[in-house]
Amino acid sequence: MAHETKTPWVSLSLTLALAAATATATATASDHNHEPNHDRDVMEIVERANLAAYYAGADGRSEARMRIVDARERTQTRQFTILRKDVEEGGKQHYLVVFSRPSEFRGVAFLVEKRPGDDDDRWLYLPDQDLERRIAPGDKRTSFVGSHVFYEDVSGRDIQDDEYELLEVTDDRYKIRATPKEPGSVEFAAYTMWVDRETYLPMTTEYEDAAGSVYRRMESSQVEIIDGHPTPLRMRMEDHNMGGYTEVQFRGQEYDLGIPASVFSQRSLRNPPREWLGR
Amino acid sequence: MAAGTGERPQRQLRAALLLAAGMVTGVAVAAAPATHAEWGANGGDDGNNGWDNDWEDNGWDDDPWGDEEAGGLPFELSGFAELAGGYRTRDHELFDKRYHLAEARLRLEARGDWRRFDYRVRADAVADGVTDELRGELREARLSFPVGERLDMRLGRQVLAWGTGDLLFINDLFPKDFQSFLTGRDEDYLQGPSDAVRGTWYGEQVTLDLVWTPLFAPDTYPEGERLSYFNPRSGEQVVDRLRAEEPDDFPNDGELAAQLRTRIGGTELAGYFYRGFFPQPGSVTEADRLTHGRLNAFGASLRDRLGPGIVNAEIGYYHSVDYDSSAPQRAPNSEARLLLGYTWEAITHLDVGLQYYVEWLQEYDELKAAWQGDENLDNAQEDDYRPDEFRHLLTARLTYSMWRDNLTASLFTFYSPSDNDYYLRPSLRYRASDALTYSLGGNFFGGDHAHTFFGQFTEDSNLYARLRYRF
Repeated sequence: MAHETKTPWVSLSLTLALAAATATATATASDHNHEPNHDRDVMEIVERANLAAYYAGADGRSEARMRIVDARERTQTRQFTILRKDVEEGGKQHYLVVFSRPSEFRGVAFLVEKRPGDDDDRWLYLPDQDLERRIAPGDKRTSFVGSHVFYEDVSGRDIQDDEYELLEVTDDRYKIRATPKEPGSVEFAAYTMWVDRETYLPMTTEYEDAAGSVYRRMESSQVEIIDGHPTPLRMRMEDHNMGGYTEVQFRGQEYDLGIPASVFSQRSLRNPPREWLGR
Repeated sequence: MAAGTGERPQRQLRAALLLAAGMVTGVAVAAAPATHAEWGANGGDDGNNGWDNDWEDNGWDDDPWGDEEAGGLPFELSGFAELAGGYRTRDHELFDKRYHLAEARLRLEARGDWRRFDYRVRADAVADGVTDELRGELREARLSFPVGERLDMRLGRQVLAWGTGDLLFINDLFPKDFQSFLTGRDEDYLQGPSDAVRGTWYGEQVTLDLVWTPLFAPDTYPEGERLSYFNPRSGEQVVDRLRAEEPDDFPNDGELAAQLRTRIGGTELAGYFYRGFFPQPGSVTEADRLTHGRLNAFGASLRDRLGPGIVNAEIGYYHSVDYDSSAPQRAPNSEARLLLGYTWEAITHLDVGLQYYVEWLQEYDELKAAWQGDENLDNAQEDDYRPDEFRHLLTARLTYSMWRDNLTASLFTFYSPSDNDYYLRPSLRYRASDALTYSLGGNFFGGDHAHTFFGQFTEDSNLYARLRYRF
């Protein structure tokens, strides 16, 4: 299985496309302690990372399956398809998530209207009861459908919620440390992410508790270029507080499909849009 | 990365372990950690802090994606097997059996699609130790298809629901199975099936639902089979079967239900209309038999985000069509109903939902006069059993989830300050695996009076347990 596929021409085109930003960031990194524009520059990396991870293309679809392994090595599975449409780059987004596995979740659907800086609107459809429930905003840092992945990991954490510091620039990664502006609102005291300098994808993120020890770690891997967008095909979330880990495998990604806004409506909860969900 | 090395033996080992462990328990045995090359030199600094970077490639690849395991059938098949048992916590003198729920249930669900048509059939086979019978229950047999761009049709037996209440229904007048609900079956069974035609039209601004049920389907209410009820005529708790006459004249005794919905920003607004019958019998025929009175209902609801939660409000007016001022006891009063609710996550993992609900009898003076003039009732009965003009109800739902939602503890409380009675519904649900779920719970009733809505079930308070294996 090919991991970290990067053909030379792709690297080249990306390097060209991102040349300006990369140059800026590299310059910043070499003497970042003395650079007056340091905050702005680290923000630029964070913004690009946010766009690369959550806003690739104007819309997208992806099939995902999760293998959830608990501390006693017992395994559960989830399989679903995600449709996404950006309303504004880096801002509002619509998500539709439709489950196919396990049988208990079959036909369950989430509709999310994400609004960075505000609470999301979320609906949940339960097919057995033909019930369309609206979900209170709540804590976004809780388990997504029983996995070690949080809701916030699926739809992205608001980049305005943290302060950032560029710690180090290596040959291919930016090492950025983030601390929450409201420490009481989250379970972590800080996190460190390693952002790929070519793709701007956050490849590793480690969350620390108040004692400074890492208890949660996200890793992305097997990045492939799909429709021009670097896309991790695997993700793994390990959490010592919960015990165990979740592996996520993606397939069937496509971008810029021209998914109409009407797909992200209540109609799709009851009648999942087969032409967009299927391949 | 050395993803390929050792993959095949690992896979075989895993398969052997799975077989040996026996999947009946729903506990899968994971493979021993593979020895992969160190992952990502740039991530996690050096040494990886003891993190296990094993991706366990083995196991993924021979595990098919869900939609690829159809196994040659032209449709998908799933379902569950369930054992359920329930036991009265009080010694009920009217029932021989102490248990009120003892059943083994096999659910089969088949679904598939052909062109633009989707179908789904769900049926239960039940071996029932309370009624000593084997029976089949067809829960759903429906066909869905779009007509043009904006209309979705759904035909056949189906479960229908709308409105904003949590276990309280104003404009949702589709059949409810309160017997299942009060005896400890899964909450899904509260919603009974309808044999109906549903059309949903999606406009630019509004969505219109029209549901035609050709023949009226009543609620399944407590009528002596598993739950006793209070008879105000005799002033006693009874288990006599009510055997109400059901309107069954096709097509005059059908039901029509409509919902018109719209969204303005985050605010969901809906209007409702219903033409049919009171879901529970409250009228008397000319031959003095109990029956369901004609009902026309109108209502509206609102749902929105507010502060940290979701607020909902719903109103409804029940017009009792057959009501006659000269004989107020032969048909139900018309009613106005109101519901206000708020749901939020009070602390992480703890969801709280609160509701206030009221039923207001519209011709109360006439009802009161009729009760006072009833020769069959003595004064004590008349005073005690006559309904109040207003029935107020407060509900609270507390749900706490642990272990990544695999363990859920919930308490739903109904309390009526006007009737001074209550209904507590605690439950504990443990999802041991994707296949196996254990549920434990109770239905506890009480109140100051023997005749009130929840108070009458005091002796029917019960505990139940269920074990469900999904496939």
